[in-house]
Amino acid sequence: MKKGMKLAALVVAAAMILTLASCKKEEKKTEEKKFMAAMATDVGGLGDKSFNDGAHQGLEMVREKLGADIKVVESKQQTDYVPNLIGLAEDGSDIVFAVGFLMEQAVKEAAKNNPDTKFAGIDIWAGDNDPANFMGILYKEHESGYLAGVVAGMMTKEHSSASPRFNDKNVVGVVLGMFIPPVEKFEVGFIQGVKSVNPDCKVLSVTTGSFVDQAKGKEAALAMIEQGADIVFQVAGLTGLGVIQACKEKGVAAIGVDVDQSGVAPDTVLTSAVKQIPQTVFLAVESVKNNTFTGGTKVYGIEDDATGISPFHDFESVVPQAVKEKVAQVAADMKAGKIKIETTRAALGM
Amino acid sequence: MPDWTFLMFLNTDLLVATVRLSTPITLAALGATVCEKAGVVNIAMEGIMIIGAFFAAVTAFYTGNPWLGLAAGVAAGGIYSLIHAVATISLHLDHVVSGAVLNILAFGITRYLMVLFFGHPGTSDAIPSFLGDYQFAVPFLSKIPVLGPVFFNQTPIIYISFFLVIFLSWFLKYTKTGLHIRAAGEHPLALETIGVSVYRIKYLAVFISGLASGLAGAYLSIENNVSFTEGMTNGKGFIALAAMISGGWSALGSFLSALFFGFADALQVRLQIFRVFHVPEELFIIFPYAATIIAVAGLVKRSRPPKADGVDFIIEKENE
Repeated sequence: MKKGMKLAALVVAAAMILTLASCKKEEKKTEEKKFMAAMATDVGGLGDKSFNDGAHQGLEMVREKLGADIKVVESKQQTDYVPNLIGLAEDGSDIVFAVGFLMEQAVKEAAKNNPDTKFAGIDIWAGDNDPANFMGILYKEHESGYLAGVVAGMMTKEHSSASPRFNDKNVVGVVLGMFIPPVEKFEVGFIQGVKSVNPDCKVLSVTTGSFVDQAKGKEAALAMIEQGADIVFQVAGLTGLGVIQACKEKGVAAIGVDVDQSGVAPDTVLTSAVKQIPQTVFLAVESVKNNTFTGGTKVYGIEDDATGISPFHDFESVVPQAVKEKVAQVAADMKAGKIKIETTRAALGM
Repeated sequence: MPDWTFLMFLNTDLLVATVRLSTPITLAALGATVCEKAGVVNIAMEGIMIIGAFFAAVTAFYTGNPWLGLAAGVAAGGIYSLIHAVATISLHLDHVVSGAVLNILAFGITRYLMVLFFGHPGTSDAIPSFLGDYQFAVPFLSKIPVLGPVFFNQTPIIYISFFLVIFLSWFLKYTKTGLHIRAAGEHPLALETIGVSVYRIKYLAVFISGLASGLAGAYLSIENNVSFTEGMTNGKGFIALAAMISGGWSALGSFLSALFFGFADALQVRLQIFRVFHVPEELFIIFPYAATIIAVAGLVKRSRPPKADGVDFIIEKENE
């Protein structure tokens, strides 16, 4: 009796799946083919206030400016990556984005199996053996870090009287999430930026080992503030929310990361070391539309306006003109290739 | 000649940080202690904490009142823990299996509810007002050097945790219900024989552990910080288990062990800042966890669990 029930359930389930599948096919036929760009998030999902949200913003730009259809699929677990990416390709996307270093294997596999669709990966490297329909997109995080460092280095010493948030101890800090290459590049760039304008400045650094541990981020920042730090740069994802909270409570300044984080605490966030993921996503989609897409790795930096620092917002009147001019000049020098920035701790002898 | 200036960090701030970092561990360890005293093994503190953290943040966000958030977090922890009670006490499921399921389930539930309440997973929007605003310095006592700032100038849930350490120590030792809880974990049949329902006592103990773990979660999301983040407990519920074991299944012992783990964490942050040792940061990051293993391995011999801890208790009724 039980066995019979099970069999019946199976048959019903199978029938339902078949019906659904056939529905989908019919829909496709009736729809007119429009240019479409899509993305699959990594497990962080939308709302990470970082690269997933950034890529999503890029697609919104695509919809607005290129009039394309866009589609977003969230991955709940790592095993979703391949089916999500392939599913988007089969739905007729012209380009599919995989967001985040964790999706490297999945997007390369999907690209291999769907040679007619273009794929792109944020924070993912494309090697020589990877399929020609795959574009890796990387950023020069050290440039953003360097510019943020210039601001921090100048504000913590020369212009510390500009706001009660700064003190005369000449100490700043960096809180890291996990120690991975993009995080390291932000940190190392920041240290060099600080030292370039303020060689005596002490730069404290703590690695928390997590991107979701607000309590530890807060504790790391508090410990730095105890030691006199008046500007703390967070490169720690959601752990960094704890860093900003600590700075807010103690009345010092924080520097955000990835996206403009002024909104988190307008009175505390001095600026943010950003990477313009939306812009680069837009450029990649545009290249597909104009048939200029090529595989391989694209490294975006300040010359593409993809790295840099966000506006000062509430600190606009606090940050003196001298600092703004210096930042503009350093950015110009960077664009001209006049500044050499190391990208690893080893190169700094740390 | 080494540079000794780093010894600067051995100051009162280090101890204040110790208390801040140990509070969620203390609360969860207290809960676990009560639970295991009654003979129910509870490894679900991690999951209960994340549930408590979520509901505390959601309530504080929508009402704008962190005290309501506190109540909601505690209540949610208590209610969620009842699943463990039903599974292990009434349905006689293996305690560890039920706890593991509760942990996994909690992370799935909170992710789902994040989307429902905030429209996206990841991290919630910031709550308008948080319990950290209610830092309170006890008059006179907070002026005592070192101990004053550490114990008498804190935020509400930290004070509650101090109170609970004292209260539960007394409760377990000197009250009738406390005695019944201990009996349920040592010799449940004896307890049943004198006419006290072992099931009821066990339900009560599990519920108390849920309330305490929910409070630990609320501490993370609405007192220490101002938003909920998926997975924000980061294993503190498991460290609480270690604190309970190395604390010898007692409220005071759990508190002292939790302080030790908090101290290890506060210390490693400062060791990183001063770069006292030039070693990879991974070694600093694992320091509190390594300290946990050493403490449990070193102290576990002297600490004895309740005799009937994790042992299923079934009453066979003759009439049925």
